[in-house]
Amino acid sequence: MLLCCPALTPMVLMILRMNSLPAAGRSGILLLLLLWPLSAMTEEPAYESAELEVNLTPRTPQQIAAFYEGRGFSEPMIAILREQCFITVFIHNKSDDIIWLDLADWEFADSDGPLRRRDRADWKARWQKRDIPLAHQSTFRWTLLPEKLDFLPGERKGGNITLPRHNQPFTLHARFDTGEARDGDPIEITLEELQCADNP
Amino acid sequence: MRRQSLTRWLFWPGLLLIALSASAQSPELPAGIIKHDPYPAPPLALRDLDGEPYALKNQRGAPVFVHFWASWCGPCREEMPAIQRMWDTLEEEGLKIALVNTAEDEDTVFSFLAAHAPTIRPLMDRDGQVTEGWEPRGLPATYLVDAQGQVQYQAIGGRPWDEPAYLDFLRSLIKAP
Repeated sequence: MLLCCPALTPMVLMILRMNSLPAAGRSGILLLLLLWPLSAMTEEPAYESAELEVNLTPRTPQQIAAFYEGRGFSEPMIAILREQCFITVFIHNKSDDIIWLDLADWEFADSDGPLRRRDRADWKARWQKRDIPLAHQSTFRWTLLPEKLDFLPGERKGGNITLPRHNQPFTLHARFDTGEARDGDPIEITLEELQCADNP
Repeated sequence: MRRQSLTRWLFWPGLLLIALSASAQSPELPAGIIKHDPYPAPPLALRDLDGEPYALKNQRGAPVFVHFWASWCGPCREEMPAIQRMWDTLEEEGLKIALVNTAEDEDTVFSFLAAHAPTIRPLMDRDGQVTEGWEPRGLPATYLVDAQGQVQYQAIGGRPWDEPAYLDFLRSLIKAP
């Protein structure tokens, strides 16, 4: 823990020196400190307000391969999908107004700069180039988050987005327009410390 | 004075009549159902699981519950038993149904529906292209097509179709001229 969480090191040393605490109390606090970063790391990135809920769940290559193998996708297709960073996004419009999802307004970036999301048109061109059966192209498309959608009041929907697989943490900055004519106050969210999920 | 009271006397019953006639024309919408400006239903000509041809255009004269689904879609799995119960109730009252599977194979569809909706004959959109033509917001997707072949309503996401509010709403479509 001292290696993985340097910020906690002074706190741990201080607790170890707290002779006034019984040994059981000290080990209890240490256990809590050990578990805290674990729970923080496994918590899924999310945004929630009175109007909007957005959850992001990174998927491991194994999860993705198992899902699409179960739909009969070919091995070459699965090999391509394993190379991607899949994130399942869930969106819930909790407001009484229309909230616009427009993935053109979503920016992913890591410390090296912007990350280019692979959109539906990219995937379509890729599958067509490889003569992938239309049924599998269709299924894949339906598992992606729509590029653009007017979320009606109460509407909830999920789907995947794909990014280049990489190891660095990254950030999402997203803007959602509101109102039927997209002229309401926009909702801006930032989710930090996102990670592609690796196989266990 | 007399004219004023006569006007009042006529005003309130008149207003009530207008309100009643409006409510008869547009049934109260259950949650998650949106009304469209009617438009002609996109093409829907497929074969069912037994290979029998089906065409939506041949169903004129009764409202059709058009539903797109896939077994991998969680909300579709949740919704399907409610559709089966709704169908058990409304089939004999005159509702028709087009249950369209999107881009899955026979084995998958057969084993899924055997467990969740055993008496509904599914239509097979093998390559997913008919579904594309309807431009759903996502899966599951339900459209309500009137007896003249016009799309009148759409459901947002999965709905508890077997609940009284939804059954009453669907009955109002069956009774519509």
